[in-house]
Amino acid sequence: MAQETILNVRDLRVSFRAYGGTVQAVRGISFDLRRGETVAIVGESGSGKSVTSKAIMGILPSNASVDAGTIMYDGVDLAHAPENVMHDIRGKRIGLVFQDPLSSLNPIMKVGKQITEVLTRKGMDRKQARAKALQLMKDVGIPEAERRINQYPFQFSGGMRQRIVIAIALAGDPEIMICDEPTTALDVTVQAKILELINALKAERSLSVIFITHDLGVVAQMADRICVMYAGKIVEMGTAEEIFLQPAHPYTWALLSSMPDLDTRDRLAAIPGAPPNMIHPPKGDAFAPRNPYALNIDFEEEPPVFRLSETHYAATWLLHPKAAKVDMPESLARRIQRMKEAGGRA
Amino acid sequence: MLKYILGRIGAMLLTIFLVMTLSFWIIRLMPMTIFENPEVSPEVQYKLEERMHLHEPKIVQYYYFLEGIILKGDFGTSVKLRPGMDVFDIIMVRIQPTMVLNFFSLLVSIPLGILAGTVAALRRNTWLDHVISFAIVIFISVPSFVFASLLQYCLTFLWPVFPTLYNAQAPNVWQAFRSMILPITALSLGPIATIARYLRGELIETLSSEYMLLARTKGLTQNEATWSHAFRNSMVPIANTIIPMITGIMGGSLVIEKLFSVPGEGGLLVDSIMAGDHFLTVALLIFYSLISLITILVVDISYGIIDPRIRIGGGK
Repeated sequence: MAQETILNVRDLRVSFRAYGGTVQAVRGISFDLRRGETVAIVGESGSGKSVTSKAIMGILPSNASVDAGTIMYDGVDLAHAPENVMHDIRGKRIGLVFQDPLSSLNPIMKVGKQITEVLTRKGMDRKQARAKALQLMKDVGIPEAERRINQYPFQFSGGMRQRIVIAIALAGDPEIMICDEPTTALDVTVQAKILELINALKAERSLSVIFITHDLGVVAQMADRICVMYAGKIVEMGTAEEIFLQPAHPYTWALLSSMPDLDTRDRLAAIPGAPPNMIHPPKGDAFAPRNPYALNIDFEEEPPVFRLSETHYAATWLLHPKAAKVDMPESLARRIQRMKEAGGRA
Repeated sequence: MLKYILGRIGAMLLTIFLVMTLSFWIIRLMPMTIFENPEVSPEVQYKLEERMHLHEPKIVQYYYFLEGIILKGDFGTSVKLRPGMDVFDIIMVRIQPTMVLNFFSLLVSIPLGILAGTVAALRRNTWLDHVISFAIVIFISVPSFVFASLLQYCLTFLWPVFPTLYNAQAPNVWQAFRSMILPITALSLGPIATIARYLRGELIETLSSEYMLLARTKGLTQNEATWSHAFRNSMVPIANTIIPMITGIMGGSLVIEKLFSVPGEGGLLVDSIMAGDHFLTVALLIFYSLISLITILVVDISYGIIDPRIRIGGGK
């Protein structure tokens, strides 16, 4: 894979000022997005994945600040770009699809206007903008676009609203689309259709996609590469194949084990405990207290990032040459074996 | 939309009928002596009472009362305050000062309330917001007649800038208006604060809403997004606070009119209750209810225009 990198996040740190102190939501993450690929960022609630997407868009709330790091896009550092530069990037170059289509559309504005609003403000004439909105609505699979363009969000179903949100994100013809949990608020049957749509649009418009989710099952059919985030850090990063078939970090093991599996009667393995308080992040590896494989050093010192292959990295002391060799849980190993036999499909 | 409006008007007619019925029964069931005038001989009194059907059973009186209003527009005759005068005429004579007072209070309070609320929301947690929010609490919790007395004391006695009382014989419009400034101010402070408080809360909520965020990710500037998404959406619930506000202004004007000797309906209502002029009281109660209902109707209709969820939902 020698494609050109179009977005480059280096050592990004974001914190929030809260009543109890400073919440370190993102603690130094780095990843690349290459042209035409989908990078998934996976993690529990509060792992910092949505904050990352907001930092890229420059829409962090006012009590948040980027403490360090850069987000390089087309020669501009988005983490420190002034508002007027961001206006030209948001929508036009990078589009964002929100999690909840019920609350992310303005309830009292016609959907057509919500799609064309930016276009007309940036000087497109009304007729042209309307034609473009109709085309977008057809592209995202909304039937009877001519009639529905004059309707309000409450006249649409959840899945249709999410299609509108996607149409809005695409209105400025961006080259990067960030999907922040785009299917979490939807019914499972609708989820699959929206994922298909995102994949189709990605191919049609040669988009690069950052796909944020807590659901590894969703990721399997979307991502080229996966970043697993925990407590504001990327703990493991690799191609989808590497993450699903050769996971190296105990947190990734736990995530994979917590996915329902129809083929066995094994009990679903939940991850014990809760994510740490990010006002006082724990010393050492943040996952250590919940990690049955934790070593003593995990509580003392943060693990460095170990390189497993050209594309596969993981931050866990288990990979240190001096560490005793620990294998992944047996049930997970069996499951991966079955996946391989089934042809690499999760 | 037409169906929605017709439905609203139907509901309004029903309400006004209920108000008529209620005020008739409540007032008529009170012990009443229509005439206490010693100059009128008992025979004449009896005759007059006969003419007003006062010797019939109450239910028959109720029938005559409804028949008078609905078929003839006849609300009865004043018996104590202006003996012999038609109640409807008395009200019509007094309507102008009341309307001017209430109308100007509304005219002043809506834009000022919107301005104060918007400034407070956009400058949230700055000293400006704290000053406005503090003033809001004071203006909401202190009743208007206290402000009226304070204003009278400060601006007509300590520093005589304005006339103390309403000037009914003002030589020109400006003089008349000048004497209205204090009552209008006293009446407006509460409503300004009410609107400002609601709008501040509403605007802060919409400003942090997901669709505001989406509007910004589309590439709108903060100002553009605030104007076309947050501000407009915040106005929807504000339309609803205007109903209690108008009734509040009218309720307040009962006392304010008295304090500033404004010759309007408010003072008349208070006087008629005190004097026991029951025909006049009932007619004034209906008048006030009618005004409230009309404002509610106007607000409801404008609500439907602003908020498509109501318009389209109501048209089903």
